[in-house]
Amino acid sequence: MKNRLPPPYGSLINREKMVQFEFESKAYQGFHGDSVASALTANNQTLLSRSFKYHRPRGVLTMAGQDANTMVQLPSNPNALADRELISDGLKVTGQNYSGTLEKDRGQWLGLFSRFLPVGFYYKAFFKPRGIWEKWAPLIRKKAGLGVINQQLVPDYYDKQYKFFDVVVIGGGPAGMQAALESAVPSCEVLLVDENQSLGGSLNYSRFDVEGARGKNQLDKLLNAINDKPNISVMTNAVCNGWFADNWLPIITKKRLYKVRAKQTIMCTGSLEQPAIFHNNDLPGIMMSSAAQRLVHLYGVRPGSQAVIVTGNNDGYGTALDLDDAGVKINAIVDLREDPNYDDIAKAAVDRGIRVETGTTVYAAKHKGANRVSSVDIRKIVSQGICAEQGETITCDLLCMSVGYTPTYQLACQAGGQLTYDDQSAMFSLRNCPESLQLAGSVNSLWSLDAVLMEAKRAATIATNALGLTQVQVADRVTEDTVSPNHPWPIFAHPKGKEFIDFDEDLTIADIINATADGYEHIQLVKRYSTCGMGPSQGRHSALAAARLVAAATNRTVAETGVTTARPPFSAEQLGHSAGRSFYPARRSNMHYRHIEAGAEMLQAGAWYRPAFYRSKGKDSTACIDAEVSNVRNNVGLVDVSTLGGIEVRGADASEFLNRFYTFGFLKQPVGKARYALLTNEAGVVIDDGVACRFGNNHYYVTATTGGVDRVYQNMLKWNAQWRLDVDLANVTSAYCGVNIAGPNARAVLQKVCSGVDLSSEAFPYMGVRVGNIGDIPARLIRVGFVGELGYEIHVPQQYGEALWDALMVAGNDYHIQPFGIEAQRILRLEKGHIIIGQDTDAMSNPNEVQMGWAVSQNKPFFVGGRTIAELEKKPGLRGLVGFVIDDTKAPLPRESHLVVEDQRMTGRVTSCNFSPTLGKAIGLAYVPPEKTTVGTMIEIKSTGGVRVLAKVVELPFYDPENLRQEL
Amino acid sequence: MASLDPTTGMRRSQLYRRHINNKAVFKNTGYDFVVSHYDNGNDQHTELDQARSMAICDLSTLPRTGFKGAGARSWAENQGIKIPDSANRSIVQPDGCLVATLSDQELLILSDILAKSHQVTALGEQSTNDHLENDTQTYLLPRGDSHCWLAVTGNQAAEMFSKVCGVDLRPHKFALGDIAQTSVAKTNAVVIRQDLGQILSYYILCDISAAEFLWDCLLDAMQEYAGSPVGISALEALVSA
Repeated sequence: MKNRLPPPYGSLINREKMVQFEFESKAYQGFHGDSVASALTANNQTLLSRSFKYHRPRGVLTMAGQDANTMVQLPSNPNALADRELISDGLKVTGQNYSGTLEKDRGQWLGLFSRFLPVGFYYKAFFKPRGIWEKWAPLIRKKAGLGVINQQLVPDYYDKQYKFFDVVVIGGGPAGMQAALESAVPSCEVLLVDENQSLGGSLNYSRFDVEGARGKNQLDKLLNAINDKPNISVMTNAVCNGWFADNWLPIITKKRLYKVRAKQTIMCTGSLEQPAIFHNNDLPGIMMSSAAQRLVHLYGVRPGSQAVIVTGNNDGYGTALDLDDAGVKINAIVDLREDPNYDDIAKAAVDRGIRVETGTTVYAAKHKGANRVSSVDIRKIVSQGICAEQGETITCDLLCMSVGYTPTYQLACQAGGQLTYDDQSAMFSLRNCPESLQLAGSVNSLWSLDAVLMEAKRAATIATNALGLTQVQVADRVTEDTVSPNHPWPIFAHPKGKEFIDFDEDLTIADIINATADGYEHIQLVKRYSTCGMGPSQGRHSALAAARLVAAATNRTVAETGVTTARPPFSAEQLGHSAGRSFYPARRSNMHYRHIEAGAEMLQAGAWYRPAFYRSKGKDSTACIDAEVSNVRNNVGLVDVSTLGGIEVRGADASEFLNRFYTFGFLKQPVGKARYALLTNEAGVVIDDGVACRFGNNHYYVTATTGGVDRVYQNMLKWNAQWRLDVDLANVTSAYCGVNIAGPNARAVLQKVCSGVDLSSEAFPYMGVRVGNIGDIPARLIRVGFVGELGYEIHVPQQYGEALWDALMVAGNDYHIQPFGIEAQRILRLEKGHIIIGQDTDAMSNPNEVQMGWAVSQNKPFFVGGRTIAELEKKPGLRGLVGFVIDDTKAPLPRESHLVVEDQRMTGRVTSCNFSPTLGKAIGLAYVPPEKTTVGTMIEIKSTGGVRVLAKVVELPFYDPENLRQEL
Repeated sequence: MASLDPTTGMRRSQLYRRHINNKAVFKNTGYDFVVSHYDNGNDQHTELDQARSMAICDLSTLPRTGFKGAGARSWAENQGIKIPDSANRSIVQPDGCLVATLSDQELLILSDILAKSHQVTALGEQSTNDHLENDTQTYLLPRGDSHCWLAVTGNQAAEMFSKVCGVDLRPHKFALGDIAQTSVAKTNAVVIRQDLGQILSYYILCDISAAEFLWDCLLDAMQEYAGSPVGISALEALVSA
């Protein structure tokens, strides 16, 4: 670790703990607390990875996890940020996006062809001749993308948690710490969030005074004060990745996404240092001044041995002092300003005898074959962006850039803040943030430490006043007389190009200007055409330069040009944070495990688990299902119908309510009888069905479909609110579980366990309802015939479900009762010609189309959808649902949604189709044109594999048309 | 203590298999079977400690009922029930049962932990009879079967809830007796703050068919806090402590 500095440098590392890791299969050492980037830099390894397009060598740029230069491959994930990721023993790290070796990447040749890869290359090159894209796509896709996903990886556990605070301060620099402290008045719960390992922000590494002591002193003072405030919670290594309505803040730590609700938010997100734009400004060894200071102070790493600093402000001089103190030879400070206005720090640097060139810029960086800057060509600035013909070459292995900042405006803009640009100061600033959001610090365009701390206090006071926790006079906004740190035009074109605006996408000055020349003048169009700002760093270091270039190219101001929208997330987040622990509610009936024990294959219908069929040894699924069908037709079967909806309709107006709500008439329905209940919406479309069971004069128990009950109940509540009838509604779906015992022996089985009800056909006829007991279990019994056999639906309180199942299975033992699943039930109901709402109906189906006109009362003044149905009846129908049979037993079985065709024309579709074990042929339901609904008509179905199958339209039902069996 | 077999009873909690798999010892409350404790090598003091820090308990077989309708409130008051002044509040009755107002016209009544209150079952029958005779516009709701009933106890309960629920349930924000009708792990739930003894505790009532799902979600969420299921004996000890 030849570049390691002695203590007190390295506030984040623990020199007592040595860490061994690998980079590109070579062993390295670092200290606990080192990032991959800092440890490699300490070992003089500056090349970290390769750029996206031209495979250019890239190294440290920000040391703040804000750029794509340091994206490396880890065993568990690609695109890890080397300046964020901490080293650990045995960690294996490699570079990304290279062929061969990182040092000698065979992909570098792409850079030689950059002139043939102009901006908008994809749009220009691949749209003609027709089909050319398909030829290029495999090659381009092979080259595109960064990193490799480890598909064998067992994902870690990621989850989410809510948090609630009165004030959330985002950013733990001096402004954030001060704002948190000031906000922490009694009873105010404050959260202070920072994305770095420790609080302090620039206090940890920037130079605030000539001696270099003030930052540390201020940090200690603030830290001590925060530690003394129990109502301040601190989250470090946590990034607030967005702002959503009402201060909903997603804050991400390693494995957890916190969903934070804040009453007030104070954003102290700081600012982002911007690069100077010149030839080869992306070489390893060229970095932001703040990156060099971070390496020195946070990690105790000397970033180079000979440095040049290109600056447009006094901050570059502070960097020079820091580097000089750390033993780096400063070969020159290249100041873009013709006549710098020095502060004390700058004067101190000058006083140390460091060479300063004013009115000068770095025009180009050079390298001697190695993947690192070796010297810079500095030249006098003649006019905006124009340099003198001749310059001077200065040797260096480190070039620090300090030409200005942009506020970290992304979150504030998401909250509605507007970004404006002041030509005088050459800076962006924010305004018009919502009342519950305050700004403080450099994000609010304040730079001196004193001003930052004062403004932070002011922001906190506004927040606590708004919360009603304080009533303090709010001071005027802080103003300061320091000179803007932004140089207005640190952009210098070079005949050989390679002056990078966007490091992520390898975009140069020419690319941006050419985009406007191609007619894409709006900054949003420039972004999409050039991809500027679309890379991993989302324009953090390109937005300002791009705006300036577009403004100049289109004769507008930067304020008029603006920047592109900064949408969440602020920084890349791992898929685990979105795809980690999620909740998928699952519902089970009380008898669920009896199905499992009986060998059921379960399927999920919505949230419900339902038995599809019961597996029998030696039988495939079809044979099992057919056997279940046969057992119901010839013996007795038991099916769990607990998922059916159940709604209690009670009150003096219960009959009137149902009469208005459903299509049938209910006013004269006798107590003790059930009636089919078909539901249409205002458009006359069939949306649900069930049976309405009248258990008392003012009491109905109405069933609804499994998937439709919530909507039915919601509609009932809505209409009841409008009609103001004396009715109470209660959705009791889960309160009852139920079974349907069906088959010719159903009564015989039931008689063994049922008491309190005369089960004879005369006393309890078809469509009767009764209250009785199954053993000791109170039960509601409903004689219905969904499957077309003698059958009883038995509904009991949910927690009796398993006992009910057991009682009936034991009672049916002598009759070889068998459970059946919903697959068999579907076949049974199809044989009986019963439709399933949602499968045999769609968003246009009216009752007459689906042969349910019989369920619509013509003798009542109103029901929901009645008016529309009446109008529809006056017009010729557009289609009809018919039953069909396929006599060809070798024909491939049509499936749901297979098309009914006539020649090449689609004329309808199949809604249900199955082989009927009872009838020995395929049967189904299909929508066909009106002229094809006549019984005996042949229709053609495009079945599996495109095979055309002939089917004959037949009368419904297919089975037991006289209904003799269900009325036994 | 010999365990009773919950399958010998007619009413069975949706969760009884999970309890059996966790070596539960069942007892009869006088109504139905409930987990007394788990026989996993720990003594009952350990379960009590568990309940104090982070635990979950299935109360689904304890008595509970509900009423709704325009006349529900006045009818209940006529029965001598003390009704909270506003919706989403609950009050413990002199006999220990808890009356919760879910809306101006809807009441939920939960038995006490020891199941000594007879009011719950008595009120159910009374309301039906009164309504039939006098049209009191008070309609019985089968809360004993529509909703499962879980208790989450312990000083870290609120922290655990913040992993599954978007409502701030911390004790200084969610007072004793407060009710949140909200979503817990994407499942509709009624959450009631009802401390047991001096220990922060919540009742959760959710759709009974989702009982296993919610149980698993809560166990998963409380793993971080070393939470685990406890039997009702631990809760009884909390109450009597």
